[in-house]
Parts: sequence; structure tokens; C-alpha cells
Amino acid sequence: MQNNLISKNFNHSFLNSESLTEEREKAFLNLKTIGLPNKRVENWKYTDLTSITKGLEFKPGKVDIEILNKDRKGLVVADFEYFIKNKDQYSKPTNYLKDEGVVYLNLSYASDARVIEIRESQSEPIVIKITAKGPGVTFPRLKIDIFPNVEAEVCFVYNGGEGFVNQLTEIHLGKDSGLNLYRVNESSSIHSETFLSYLNLNANLSMVNLSMPKNKSRFQVYNIFLDKHSSTDFKSISIPSNSCHDDFLIQNNHISSNCKSNVGMRAILDKGVICSFQALIDIESNILSSKAEQDCKAILLHKEASMNAKPEMKIFNDDVVCKHGTTIGSLDKDQIFYLKSRGLDKKSSENLLLKGIVKNYIPNNSLLNNFLPKAYQ
Amino acid sequence: MSNNFLNIKSLSVKVDDKLIINNLSLSIGRGEVHAIMGPNGSGKSTLSNVLAGKDGYTIVNGAIDFSGEDLISLEPNERANKGIFLAFQYPVEIPGVTNINFIKTALESNRKYRGLEPIKPGEFLKLIKEKSKILGIPEDRLKRQLNVGFSGGEKKRNEALQLLMLEPSLAILDETDSGLDVDAFKIVADTINSTRNKDNSMLVITHYQRLLERIKPDIVHIFVDGSIVESGGPELANEVESDGYERFGDAK
Repeated sequence: MQNNLISKNFNHSFLNSESLTEEREKAFLNLKTIGLPNKRVENWKYTDLTSITKGLEFKPGKVDIEILNKDRKGLVVADFEYFIKNKDQYSKPTNYLKDEGVVYLNLSYASDARVIEIRESQSEPIVIKITAKGPGVTFPRLKIDIFPNVEAEVCFVYNGGEGFVNQLTEIHLGKDSGLNLYRVNESSSIHSETFLSYLNLNANLSMVNLSMPKNKSRFQVYNIFLDKHSSTDFKSISIPSNSCHDDFLIQNNHISSNCKSNVGMRAILDKGVICSFQALIDIESNILSSKAEQDCKAILLHKEASMNAKPEMKIFNDDVVCKHGTTIGSLDKDQIFYLKSRGLDKKSSENLLLKGIVKNYIPNNSLLNNFLPKAYQ
Repeated sequence: MSNNFLNIKSLSVKVDDKLIINNLSLSIGRGEVHAIMGPNGSGKSTLSNVLAGKDGYTIVNGAIDFSGEDLISLEPNERANKGIFLAFQYPVEIPGVTNINFIKTALESNRKYRGLEPIKPGEFLKLIKEKSKILGIPEDRLKRQLNVGFSGGEKKRNEALQLLMLEPSLAILDETDSGLDVDAFKIVADTINSTRNKDNSMLVITHYQRLLERIKPDIVHIFVDGSIVESGGPELANEVESDGYERFGDAK
């Protein structure tokens, strides 16, 4: 049985879909051919989106995209009109992701978008709140252009909803630019986000992701190193609510030389939680002097918590420095003993160790500190 | 009841079916400093871990009485709060937890257990700075993650700092002298020695007589194959230093 989202014919009356008809129809044809991801798709083996969305009614939902302080100097904000005027930009993600059903799904139905051009360096973070309202399906699109030589901080905050959010996010980093990106996911929707970054010469993207979903969440990141000396540093902390599902995939595609990627994930998993970490370092044969690291550490607090980890490296030359490591298990007994031997009881020792894991990625002076549960602040 | 502060009676301990401590009896009085010397693998660290309450050891026989209480029935944190402090041979690293926050948490836990008011932040800061200065620990190390990236010597100084802050009634020093350079050794040993008083006791585990020159023990015990084979005064340490353990039944 096909999923509701694609078994219906393409519906031109579906919010704003009269624009970009040709691009949408093309995307929808691809969606029909490829289908929504399911467990047979290797990258989606831990999240069967076809099954998860099977019971959803295909009716438009509502999502608010709010940009705080958008009138700031050096910022230009546009909405969906941007893509109507720049049709070549609309389908750009498919140049890099040709077989990704959720991307074609977004391109078929996207109706609400924000495009932010950051033309001057910003001294304060730009906060973007994406809040889903009630049931239904929504397809938000975000695109951020960091102009050359510009430094900025951006924080995405996801909340709310009872339906399905399928988001597409792109970050363009110009030459010598830098972006510190923060992401807080407290969404109660089924949340799927595909994130692409395009890094030009000497661009740097750092991201800290605090994922605390209250439903099923999938965050997939594709970093594309378009030019030399660009770098990415991704840190992700997963603390899903009980019985929730959090899936983090990241692929660093080193298609230019002298680039650097670093990925770390920490997961604190309680009763009924399923969490996944899939990370790929992809270095082609003619690409020189790459550095890439990935590591994952998951703490299982309950016998009914589970963690899937699939670190991968596809490296086709010798001129690289790469390392990876994954540990899944309970808190370290020697560490607990050390703390207990100083007078802390078992619970306090465990809490301090868990807090330490979180603080390693989100210190007290981080923008994300206030979003943490009190025990970790 | 004897005046002894710590009474270990006929203690035998196994790890994975292997007998490590064999029918050990040892008594330490209030204010006394006892030293244990012995060859590698003789069970010295096992004894310190058992006293501190580490899991993984099976007590097959014997009893440990600490200040009139059955120590074996207590959790490690209860033992710590009642005054037992183990200075670890290999202190573990705790990423994400700052040194100063950890010591404050430990001190608060200790004071709470004793029914004391929490120490005021300013007072705590003053105290820890004072103690750090004595040990030659720079202030920025207090803000670093606990033991993460510390050298062997820095870790040992940090153990000594915790000892100074927590003021235990029984300090167990498990090879605290190892990993310290000459200058650090003197500072740490002399600082620990300065905490001696008539109410506090120490059990010093070491391979080297040089530590016992600075923390002068009342009694030296020679530990071989999990039990004390001979006890005596500081001269016993001198003998070990010059002749090794051969006379005591270990020809390694």
C-alpha cells in the first residue's frame, strides 16, 4: 500500500503550488519513482519514514517561521517569492542529493520559505523560531547566504506540532566566511530535516545541535566542501523524551583538498528511546590533505533504550588524517566510584557525569545553555 | 572495644576466584601513620580499594571496623562522608566537570552528611585558593575539567588538594609519590604531612622509602602475597630500600 503523501495525485490547489509548477511536477515525478524512505534504503535503515507517516492525513498544516530582529543592519530577508524569482535555486539541492525522497517531497509541496542574506558580520545571534501548529503536514524551506568575509551566529529553535514537518535547509558560506550555528529541536511533530551546507574557499561552519524531540525526529546533514581550506565542526547532543526516536545522519563530502571535518555525537537515552548515529567521511581519490574525525558516545540509562551507530569512511587516497570511534554503554563504573569515594551518592554521581557529558558540548556560556533541562544547566 | 580507629580482622578478599588478600589483620589507632610496603602484585592497592568500598572484590572472610562501625556494610560515599579518603594511584578523568565544581560538590556533600551548613561561595573560593597555593596549583587548573589532560604529577597534586579540602580522619595514600618530580614530591609529601594531628590517621602505601622520610610512619608493614609478613619501625623501610623484599619471601 502506498503512502498517502504520494498516492494522491499532485494537487495544484495545495497552498501556493501554482508557482513553480514545472519544478514541482518534476520533483513529484521523482518522488513517485523513488518513494518515501523506508528501511530498505541504507541511509534510512533506522527510521522507516514510509511506515511512520502511513496513517497521516495529507492535509496542509501550519508552521510559523519567525526571525527575531530581522530588521537588523546587514540582513535581507525574503520569503517564497525569492524562489519564484530565482527558479534555478529552487531545485539546487537535487544537484547533490539525487536519490533523496524527502527532498523531492519538500520540493513538490514547499509553500513557506525564508531566505536570509547575511551581508555584514553580526555581533548578536539571529534567532529563527520554527513552530508547527496542530496536525497536518508542512514543508518549510530555509536558505541562509553568508556573504564573503562575514561572520555570524544563527540559532534555529523547533517547537510544537502534531503532524509531520518535512524541512529543507540550505546554508551557503561565501569565501572566508564563518557561521556558528545552534539548533534546538523540541518538536512534538514527526520532524524530518534535510540540511545542506555549501562551503566556499576558507569558509567555516560550526554547529551545536541540541536534539530533545518529543516525537520521531530525523536530522540529516550533508556538508559539501566546494572549495579548499573549508571546514566544519558539528557537535550533536541527543536527549530525547521517553519513548521518542532521534536519528542523526551526517555526511562530509570532501570534494576539495585541504578541508577539515569534525563530527561528535553524545546521546543520553532513557526508557523506550531509540537513537541513531550515521556518519560518513567521503574523500575522493584526487583530494589531498584532508582531515576528518568522527566520534559518538551514547549512554543507555535504561534497559529499554537503544542506540544504533554506523560510522563509515570512504577514503580513496593516502593523504588524509582520519579517525573515528564509537562507544555505547552505561556510565563508567570507575568514574562513579571516584565520585562516590569523595562523598557523592550514586544518583548525584551519575547526574554529575551526565552533566559533564552535556557541558563538554554546551558549556554554561553557550547560547544553548538555557534550553537544556535544569539538571544539565 | 580497643582504642583503635581502624580494625581489620582476619580479612580475606578474592577477585575472580583468586585470593588477593589473605587473612589480613591490621589495627590503626587515632593519630597514627602506618605505611605498607610490598612488591608489585602483593595486594596493596586491593586493600586500599576494599577500604574505600570499590565493587568487584569479594570479601570471603573477616571484618573491618571503622570508628566503631562495620565498614563493609557502608557504601563508598558513606565511608567518604564518615572520614575515609582514598588518594588514588590513577585518578580518573571526568570530562565536562570542572575541578572546582567537583571539589565544591564533594565538600557540600560531606558537610551535608555531617549536618553542617553549606559553605558560602566566597568562603569556599578563598579556602580552595589558599590550599591550591600551598600545593603550587595554579588557579586556572581549578577551572579545567577534572583530571582531563593533567600530567601524572598534576593529578597527584589534585588528589592532595582534595585531601586538604575534605580533611578526612583516615587518609589512604595509594602510591601518591609515583609520577611526581622531585620538587612536586617534596611539596605534596610535606603538605600531606602537615595535615597530621592527634585525631587523623594515615595509611601510606608506597614503594619508596623517600616518601617515608617526609611522612614519618609510626609503623611500617611489609606486605607479601596479601598479608603482612613483618611489622616494625621506620628502619624496616630502610632495609627494604637497600635489600629489597627477598628476605620477606618475595624473590622477584
